[in-house]
Amino acid sequence: MSANYTAILWNQQKKLYDRYMWLGIGLFMLVYAVFQLWLQPSITFETLIIRATALAAFVLLHLILAIGPLSRINPAFLPLLYNRRHAGVSMFILALIHGAFCIIQFHALSDTNPLISVFISNPKYLETSQFPFQTLGFLALMILFLMAATSHDFWLSNLSPAIWKVLHMGVYVAYALIVLHVATGAFQYENHPFNWILLFIGFWGISGLHVYAGFSERYKLNTHKNILAENGFYQVCRVNEIENTCAKTAFINGENIAIFKYDGKISAIHNVCKHQMGPLGEGRIVDGCITCPWHGYQYLPHNGQSPPPFTEKVKTYDVKILEGYVWVNPVPKEEGTFVEPVIIEKA
Amino acid sequence: MENLIEITFLIIGIYLFLGVLFTIILMWNGLEKLDPQTKGAGWFFKLLIFPGMTAFWVVFLRKWLKQKP
Repeated sequence: MSANYTAILWNQQKKLYDRYMWLGIGLFMLVYAVFQLWLQPSITFETLIIRATALAAFVLLHLILAIGPLSRINPAFLPLLYNRRHAGVSMFILALIHGAFCIIQFHALSDTNPLISVFISNPKYLETSQFPFQTLGFLALMILFLMAATSHDFWLSNLSPAIWKVLHMGVYVAYALIVLHVATGAFQYENHPFNWILLFIGFWGISGLHVYAGFSERYKLNTHKNILAENGFYQVCRVNEIENTCAKTAFINGENIAIFKYDGKISAIHNVCKHQMGPLGEGRIVDGCITCPWHGYQYLPHNGQSPPPFTEKVKTYDVKILEGYVWVNPVPKEEGTFVEPVIIEKA
Repeated sequence: MENLIEITFLIIGIYLFLGVLFTIILMWNGLEKLDPQTKGAGWFFKLLIFPGMTAFWVVFLRKWLKQKP
């Protein structure tokens, strides 16, 4: 949030997240290394590093890409989303080690500049079976570098959220390049059907999850199309349909609204977080503040303002309760405008 | 093909070299003016944003030039 920057925003949960993540990565690579040494006792240390980091990075990339749609489908996955950025940087570090070892092992021994050698050592660009797959990996690594290098909130603020988001959507381009890198590279030499099956499951699994999450979200938004309107207010749901400290979301007249129930009151704010456009309505009220499920940005429910010293603001909306139903006026108030919360008992 | 790749790498190399120079100058003097939230941020923060700034230095150059009277 916009107070002064710290190098890495760590809290108890994020430290725990990072600890388990790196423990998992370490264990995964250790098991893989033992397995490889058992299968190929003559394998060199460099080759082992190249393979272990490649596989660990690729698996981690699948998990990172799955977290987003999974947490949209089921909120139980939201804790994984909370620190996804650190997972992304960790994945880049693994990919960088893989890339650096590959360049040193395969391209640093000639007179040609090793980076240029990646692109010219194999000129068979028009062949499928012997395609210079290294180039695909190199380009993917460059995209991942730009993403990791701009992962701090400093970049979100200085590049603008819209540009930042577009830049970080590059992960899908990187993923496609990596899938092709694997298919035209390692799998040309180790083409056991099991490898191909795993690659297909991974690719179609990620694609399927995204499509399913997209459709289910669209369905959720469409459910609010036929609600009744009265004096500018639209009926959303029964009061008891909203869990305490949670929200019900509604998409009315182009406005994405989150209606929160807390301390016996109801308030409505814009459903989109100022940070990375996270779904505030999927968050909870923690310490009196609506807390974005993605990165923990917070807003006060009655005025949509981040608590001082932070300065983010979102739009607010008028709400009322009539005969046990929550009604909302989709005409937004200016960002950060105070709106008297509706007391449930008195309604 | 080889020439094209060499020229591309040369251009990228020059761009990044200028980026490194600009980043050092900006971090030495001017970053806090461009983004007041960097005030008091330690050397580790600057180290973290250094690679990105060498890649996106033109964005900051534009901001810096706009800021000067």
